[in-house]
Amino acid sequence: MVADSGTETADPRFLPGVGVFGRLGARIRRRERARAEAERRVYFTERWIGVLLIVPQLLLIFTFFYWPTAQALYWAFTLEQPWGGGNAWVGLANFTAMLSDPVYWGSIWQSIVFAASSTTVGMAIALLLALLVDREVRGWRIYRTVLVWPFAIAAPALGMAFRFILAPEAGFLAFVNRLWPGLWNPSMHGLDAMICIVVAFSWKYIGYNFIFFLAALQAIPKALLEAAALDGAGFAKRARLIQLPLLMPTVFFVAVINLTDSFTDSFGIVDIMTQGGPARATNLMVYKIYFDGFKGLDYSGAAAQSIILMLLVIVLTVVQFRFVERRIHYK
Amino acid sequence: MRKTVIAATGLLALASLAAGPAAADKVKIDFWYGNSGDISKRVQEVCQHFNDSQADYEIACTSQGSYYAAVQNTIAAYRGGKPPTIVQVFDVGTLDLMLSDAYYPAYKLMEDNGYKVDWNNYFPGIRAYYASSKGQMFSFPFNSSTALLYWNKDAFQKIGKSEAPKTWEEAAADMKALKDAGYDCPLGFDISQDESWQLMEQFSAVHGEPISTKNNGFGGLDAELTFNKTKFVKFVTDLKGWYDQGLAKIKSKNTGEDYVTAFASGHCQMTLTSVGDHGNIGRTADPSMHWDVAMLPVYDGTTRHNSFVGGASLWVLKGHTAEEYKAAAAFLNFIAKPDQALFWSTVTGYIPVTKTGFDFMKANGFYDKAPYKGRETAIAQLSVDPAGSGPGGIRLGNFLQIRGELSNGLQEIFSNKATVQQGLDEAVQRGNTILRRFEETYKGKELL
Amino acid sequence: MVERTPILNLFTQAILFLALLAALAPFAIVAIAATHDLRTVNQVPMPLTPGHDFLKNLAEAWVRADLGHKLVNSVVFAGGVALGKVTIAALSAFSLVFFRYRGRVVIFWLVFITLMLPLEVRIVPTYAVAANALSPYQSIFDVTGITSLVESLTGYRIALQWGLLNTYTGLILPLIATATGTFLYRQFFMTIPNELVEAAKVDGAGPIVFLRAILIPLSTTNIAALATIMFVWAWNQYLWPLLVTTDSSHGTAVMELRELIPDAFGIPDWNVAMAGTLIIMLPPLAVVILMQRWFVRGLIATEK
Repeated sequence: MVADSGTETADPRFLPGVGVFGRLGARIRRRERARAEAERRVYFTERWIGVLLIVPQLLLIFTFFYWPTAQALYWAFTLEQPWGGGNAWVGLANFTAMLSDPVYWGSIWQSIVFAASSTTVGMAIALLLALLVDREVRGWRIYRTVLVWPFAIAAPALGMAFRFILAPEAGFLAFVNRLWPGLWNPSMHGLDAMICIVVAFSWKYIGYNFIFFLAALQAIPKALLEAAALDGAGFAKRARLIQLPLLMPTVFFVAVINLTDSFTDSFGIVDIMTQGGPARATNLMVYKIYFDGFKGLDYSGAAAQSIILMLLVIVLTVVQFRFVERRIHYK
Repeated sequence: MRKTVIAATGLLALASLAAGPAAADKVKIDFWYGNSGDISKRVQEVCQHFNDSQADYEIACTSQGSYYAAVQNTIAAYRGGKPPTIVQVFDVGTLDLMLSDAYYPAYKLMEDNGYKVDWNNYFPGIRAYYASSKGQMFSFPFNSSTALLYWNKDAFQKIGKSEAPKTWEEAAADMKALKDAGYDCPLGFDISQDESWQLMEQFSAVHGEPISTKNNGFGGLDAELTFNKTKFVKFVTDLKGWYDQGLAKIKSKNTGEDYVTAFASGHCQMTLTSVGDHGNIGRTADPSMHWDVAMLPVYDGTTRHNSFVGGASLWVLKGHTAEEYKAAAAFLNFIAKPDQALFWSTVTGYIPVTKTGFDFMKANGFYDKAPYKGRETAIAQLSVDPAGSGPGGIRLGNFLQIRGELSNGLQEIFSNKATVQQGLDEAVQRGNTILRRFEETYKGKELL
Repeated sequence: MVERTPILNLFTQAILFLALLAALAPFAIVAIAATHDLRTVNQVPMPLTPGHDFLKNLAEAWVRADLGHKLVNSVVFAGGVALGKVTIAALSAFSLVFFRYRGRVVIFWLVFITLMLPLEVRIVPTYAVAANALSPYQSIFDVTGITSLVESLTGYRIALQWGLLNTYTGLILPLIATATGTFLYRQFFMTIPNELVEAAKVDGAGPIVFLRAILIPLSTTNIAALATIMFVWAWNQYLWPLLVTTDSSHGTAVMELRELIPDAFGIPDWNVAMAGTLIIMLPPLAVVILMQRWFVRGLIATEK
């Protein structure tokens, strides 16, 4: 499926520029073209139908997301009185105040640690479980159902159950402290608190990831795997050579969604479990936004932080699309 | 929800439905509140009582699930042009609303609708929290509480004492004795996000120590925090010392048992918590356990001041018709009646807010017997100084964030990441930045 | 599989069994808490042997939260949102993958960015839109002068008003835009071989026929997965229903659940709260079971 890339330089748009960057740019463009060639799609010619089909979604997001969001984000450049008494334009003051505060940089760092660990843990475990369930061993229908359930847990139940499991004095983990007194204490040790929220978040998202992985695995025809098995490829080899490559579009989807959600949708778990403590150790960016804006009525500060968070997530997502999606073959 | 209440009040509700005019004739108003759980059920009962008591108005009460959501959703609705008539706002959300143009002041509402309210009837510590500098009340105190010392009589008997400690010096000696007598957790306390109020705010109140300049903020939005220079520093130092010696233990949800549960289960022998927990401890503790409440200890040689009230008050919002305001006034008048105060304090742990309510309850023998005996201590503690010479409360902006900074400072102190002075200095410095931000937001506005 | 792998099977069973326990443990703790009386549920540690108050707690939660009525609302709400999301995601992704028009990439990103800002932060302006869903357009007409132009021409003043408060439309419509769904379908549609599209074109099938007759049947498993996740997601939404329904007849079960959670100084009746939680979690758990029927083995080999 490697495309022929010999003709590019003939296209005047891709003539190499001057200097290192020009050459680099040309090389990137060349590679992009090659890829586009490899992934070349066949399109329908009735463009108006395509446009028509996307309109409902666009109307919805414009009305219910972009319009209100634009107003909320405008507050980032003002000091807004919550009850609508007016606001004062302050330019970038909210941003400079935020970014010159070392505590805020700590919060950015914690968010990255949290997102990286919960995404990795959640995806790795879910992938393994999906591969195992897909083997259709005895009782696999039960596993297939129950392993999705964690995503369906209600927030109060999650809080109650994990507090019970992870509490240092009275929970399942109390035995750790009986062996090594003081070792495990999320109410005083920042690292332990971080572990708590990563465990709770990953636990819930394993259910989410699992269902999509399994759906994709089930779409792989059994004949393909059986043929490989007849050729003597074992479980691990089949997973590596057949299932994983075919799973890549889903893996990419799950990775992007997990990373985004762990940055932007984790405030509920933090609020239930650690409230950002101890001593700011789990003060994730989105929790701080929630705390300042929703609980503390500092709309302008929350808006400025939201813009910073959105930029960060957008950059990370763009990076994933640019550099990770490159490696995925959809066909 | 409504179904239950109807079932509970049974025939009474049916009778009033039959007797009253058609529902369409009634003036309907909305009341949004933040309480949940059993307290929410009780609020619904109060609403039902009001609806049953007269035929002209109907109040629809909706729980928003938390104080935060109640305020936030009300702001959204107010700015969207559809506010509820009455909203419950918790103590730290008070100042934002006070500085806004969104409310109809309580005193004016009652005046305009022909009710004569004796505002001096409210306990001074409660009145101060919700009144202008001229003493005019902006909102109606609703669910109010204050912190008390809870102590385990059985344990104290073991160390030969039949009284709660009155001073912190005495408390320290008692903790030592309790520890020597084999008790693992003489004092349980918590320093997480929302829990620093008993420590800093109530401590400063009863000791008459300022939390900030400008009379705790009552004197203007340019107040600066000062709790890193008061007796509070000594208290934190002592508490840290007790903690290091194992005399005092951090008991939070995250350790598996919060300080209230730890006291109720007999695991901790003393704790500081709201009078609102009095009923819960009574219901969840082993019935054979003997315990009582006392006023918060003060340091030796300190003149005791009134403690502060916590909780929430009811605000009436602009944007409604005269008829609706009439209904609101009728409701607020109804819940201020002594028999409603008795009902409210019986089914919840909250205290009566007026003197007549308190007297009515006393006359009814409410405080004479278990399980309510002891709760009068809260009233006594709120009226130690009848003149109310202190600030009577806190009027600082973004106070929730300031509580957060204090809690972070305390967590650094107790995990040995900072000394007591460093931790408090940092909390004060960061808190002052927050205050300046608030002042800037409301530039040109004056406290009334 | 075709080969015999006793050791691997044992390993598989062991891992899956452990995962099963880990997945079920929190639910079990909730269920046990729901069987205790007030005093026992507040013991530390809470005893793991079930108590005797299970039915009593369930009944109390059921009555207090008016669950009979609220569960029906929730089913309508979550079902509507899931259906809407699955549909709108399919249409959007179909448009983005199978048609070539200017701005496709920008549109994809515009849809994707909606994931990044929680409702909690934009609640105040969002409420205004819920109170009048046409207010953005009214503002645009006002600002661009269209309103005054039309008024001067026709004498008719444009006043757009469409209130969504206390309606099922208001509950459902604003939530059916979906970045996740659009992205998921995009990923799947991109694996569809060109030959299928070409074959359809040769047969004279237009895009709509292709979508209905070929793409949808091929996506059954993905649709089931997405519908399950979205139903569960919508079921657990709290803030939006709370904002849109001021009148309790449209309230959802999860709103009632929040009201069951003990307040700071209220009776800590976690036994009743957990009994309520248990009831409220049952429909989503059941949906997970039901949806499994659509998890079917793929039949068409995508060539590699």
